[in-house]
Amino acid sequence: MTGDVGVLASGGCHIFSGCGYPAPSLDSFMFRPLFSVGSFHFTKPMLIAVICGLLVIAFFWAAFHKPQLIPRGVQNIGEVGILLVRDQILRPSLGKRGDSYLPFLVSLFFYIWLMNLMELIPVLQFPTMSRIGFVWPLVFIVYFLYLYLGFKHQGFPGYIKNMIPWDVPKPILIILIPIELLRFFVVQPFTLGVRLFANMFAGHLLLLIFILASWYLASVSVGLLFAAGSFAMTFFVFGLELLIDLLQAFIFTTLTAVYIASSLESAH
Amino acid sequence: MSSVGKQAVPQVDRRAAAAQGRARGMDVGWTVFGYLIAGMLAYGGIGWLVGRAVHVALLFPIGMLVGLAISIGFIIYRYGRQGAAEQPPRKEMTGDR
Repeated sequence: MTGDVGVLASGGCHIFSGCGYPAPSLDSFMFRPLFSVGSFHFTKPMLIAVICGLLVIAFFWAAFHKPQLIPRGVQNIGEVGILLVRDQILRPSLGKRGDSYLPFLVSLFFYIWLMNLMELIPVLQFPTMSRIGFVWPLVFIVYFLYLYLGFKHQGFPGYIKNMIPWDVPKPILIILIPIELLRFFVVQPFTLGVRLFANMFAGHLLLLIFILASWYLASVSVGLLFAAGSFAMTFFVFGLELLIDLLQAFIFTTLTAVYIASSLESAH
Repeated sequence: MSSVGKQAVPQVDRRAAAAQGRARGMDVGWTVFGYLIAGMLAYGGIGWLVGRAVHVALLFPIGMLVGLAISIGFIIYRYGRQGAAEQPPRKEMTGDR
């Protein structure tokens, strides 16, 4: 159990009781191991990541292990999900020939979305992507995939050559090359990962701030009014996070599709 | 084709065009952001290295500003020109649809 939640559970910390506000901190993102094997510690975020992976597999297996021509039940929902990724994410960037990447993008989208949604599920209530260690593996998969596809389809010299904006005057080109290479090899994957991490981190922190403040301000005093305000804000942030969870999964997957498209064909 | 069917086709086209515009907008937006960061990193790094060699710490922030200026100039050159928004999309954007 994390520090601030521990203070909350103890129940005695309220405004005007001489107790300071137990503000959430980095401790709120640290968890005691559920169990350990040697130096390997299995924590709650890992458990959530495993649960989400199994849920995505189980859902699509249930939907499509015996597909019917006229979809019924869970197959209906599965088809809506796949069509959403295909028509809103894959086709706009890759066209029809990108359909072979549909299973990858569908898995990526639903896995990230589900992991983000976990911050709103009671008991679990933690967005795994707010720990950056869970984001980097996904970024590396995407990064190495589009590098591999770029080298495969354009060749190593051709891929590097196509990154350079040849349409600018030659003297300017020289000063642009370091920027272009750094943007492509470092900044692009870095922003892809940090955007997802930072949004989930900030969202979880916001939720914690208002939930803890509601409890802290609740007392037989004017604090009760503030507590009501904070409680209302909790619902507002909850609704906001519902949207952000979806939006972040959407942005990550869309940019993945855009990067794959740029590897298949030169951008310049 | 029924009147409902006739209306459905343009609606599907509109949705596809909107989705394509959204993907392209996201691509351009994050590319521009990437240029700004990469410009500061690249020339800030060069400035920091040169500054260390000649013991002038000021070259680091100067390098960052120069990198930022180069990036902004290039962004204006590439995306700010009149009609740049209407430039033909990349081949893979239209592809074989």
